[in-house]
Amino acid sequence: MADLMTSMLREFNVGKIITTCSVQDAKEAVNLRNINAPPSNHIDIVITDLLPPQEDGLKFMEWLRTHDEESVRFLPILFCSAHANMRIVLSGRDTGATEVMVKPLTAEKLAHRLLHIIDKPRPYIKAPSFFGPDRRRQMTSEQKTERRTLKQKDMKVSHESEAA
Amino acid sequence: MNQRQPEQVEVIHRINRIKKKVAPDGNMGAPGFINPDHIKNAQGIIDDGEDTYKKEIASALKQLSTEWAKAKTSPDTSKEVTKEIYRLANYIKDMASTYEYELMDYFGHSLRKFSDQIDVQNKAHQTIVQAHIDVMGVAYSQNIKGQGGEMAKELKLIVGKAIAKYSSED
Repeated sequence: MADLMTSMLREFNVGKIITTCSVQDAKEAVNLRNINAPPSNHIDIVITDLLPPQEDGLKFMEWLRTHDEESVRFLPILFCSAHANMRIVLSGRDTGATEVMVKPLTAEKLAHRLLHIIDKPRPYIKAPSFFGPDRRRQMTSEQKTERRTLKQKDMKVSHESEAA
Repeated sequence: MNQRQPEQVEVIHRINRIKKKVAPDGNMGAPGFINPDHIKNAQGIIDDGEDTYKKEIASALKQLSTEWAKAKTSPDTSKEVTKEIYRLANYIKDMASTYEYELMDYFGHSLRKFSDQIDVQNKAHQTIVQAHIDVMGVAYSQNIKGQGGEMAKELKLIVGKAIAKYSSED
């Protein structure tokens, strides 16, 4: 499946694609390219699968989101799964996925998710029990009240400066 | 009564580095774009990928049979083997749904669901897993795509009956 996705990304002409066969190799690739390397060489987006049964994809995302280096911790992650159930989707979101893509894989779906990551970046939330992209998407019509209990004034808001 | 302290929460807005990299002429406001022809070509890889599907499924089914035989003869390895069965069933489901082999997708999903509870020493479970392996073999050899008509119904019935009959014998 990784080969298939790689071929599709190549058709999209997205630039360099690194495919790894194990989570360990993926970690090494991320460390190698995103730490002490020029930003132009950095990996821009990570695509990972759930990798059942051990769900190593979730552990990999956790590793990324708890990494010491900002250039790794803030990497956008597209999390893919052949499981359509809510538990898996929520696990992906709660582990810090930027976007979740439930398979089957189609070119249209993949392109849409990538463009969403690029065009609509979400702020990151750093809380005692969570670090990752803001999990709130939109208020549905059934959802009458705001679920977040904290008031705006209780949150610290920071903007990265160009010099960073 | 103590007042609960609010959580320390920080909202961090980052510079959109990817957008800076890919924005045409540095126009950060322009929406991202992937050439529709490229998307069509990428979809073509799936649409024309029947050979890939067949190769991958043949390999997965072979591994599935090997793992299952191992589980029955070496109960010590059953835990690892059932995890491998889960992984293979998930892979078969994943590939079949991508290439639109609905019947194989159905059986892959069914086996993945069941593999959570497999006890290799349990005769009933053995029958259910074997029924999945057998019908997947037929679905593969007959190259049944889409809903699959009457044969698909029959195969689903075989697995359905095995699950209904043997699940109650746990």
